[in-house]
Amino acid sequence: MDNVMLKSKDVTLLEILDRVLDKGVVVSGDIVISVADVDLVYVGLKVLLSSVETMERLRGAPFAGAGEEPT
Amino acid sequence: MEASAKDLIYLYCITKVKPHYADLQKTGIKVYSIYSQGIYAIVSKVSASKFGEDNLKKKLTDMSWVERNVRQHEDLVEAIMGETTVLPFKFASIFRTEKNVEKLLKENNAEFKKIITDLEGTDEWGLKIYCSPEKLKALLEEKNELIREKVQEITLAGKGKAYFLKKKKDELIKNMLNEKISEYTQNSFMKLKKRSSRARINKILPKEVTEKKEDMVLNSAFLVNKKRIIGFNRVLVNLKTKYSDKGLSFDCSGPWPPYNFCSIRGNKEKHG
Repeated sequence: MDNVMLKSKDVTLLEILDRVLDKGVVVSGDIVISVADVDLVYVGLKVLLSSVETMERLRGAPFAGAGEEPT
Repeated sequence: MEASAKDLIYLYCITKVKPHYADLQKTGIKVYSIYSQGIYAIVSKVSASKFGEDNLKKKLTDMSWVERNVRQHEDLVEAIMGETTVLPFKFASIFRTEKNVEKLLKENNAEFKKIITDLEGTDEWGLKIYCSPEKLKALLEEKNELIREKVQEITLAGKGKAYFLKKKKDELIKNMLNEKISEYTQNSFMKLKKRSSRARINKILPKEVTEKKEDMVLNSAFLVNKKRIIGFNRVLVNLKTKYSDKGLSFDCSGPWPPYNFCSIRGNKEKHG
């Protein structure tokens, strides 16, 4: 039986982002990525992984939309 | 060199043992440590043009930049993890000066030491379970008596009644699907938790992010004692065998630095 525990050499970006961006010690350092910024990266990841069609649709939309008024 | 480029300090992790920098050369980052009262902050200098507050926000929209830098962060922490227990920090924990890092080490000294001690001899393992609802649905339709009865009723019923019964059957299947999925995932989580020092459930990630055909039904992390890994693995293999023909697939990864098991008490208080 194959060993499910073996860590594949090519760990997916998703697995890394799920930890390095979302977890780990957070201190009130001088500059720390905020939760909103992490969401921004996930939007980026979505764009990266999605089809070209979706990519173009997202590109047309304002990115974070933080300060943007919906029109 | 940009004239305006001012260096910032990037903190990767904290350790109780000073790492061998020679081994870190393959990561391509010039790393050094800041020491205070028995603990080391593993840091490197980064430019403000990349990691300054406003610039960082812009960089975060550039996925190839994010991927490169996030992988670099992970490679470095993993290289140190090969030598000693690490307390991994979140991506881009940035300080303006070395003094500020030293202050962090001093102010949280006892707590950092305690967390590292608790983590000694353990590894983090990740388990994501995916489910193909079609497969499980087909299985229920074939095997579940209650549903088979309904199907029977539908074939015998008149046209109008059949439509109504079919709607009821679909609803029944939907509920049963959810029940089964939650039973299987909870059972998997609990069995693995028993073999772990600590365990946690994280939020489910949507398909757009996972890029899988199946739905993610469990996103979990386990802190496992290195000496108990064989037992953990055995349980995992059993679960995988048991549930694979029920439409579940197991995606296990590790060993990871303990990103999921290093929350700081003081920090929580500030947020609460």
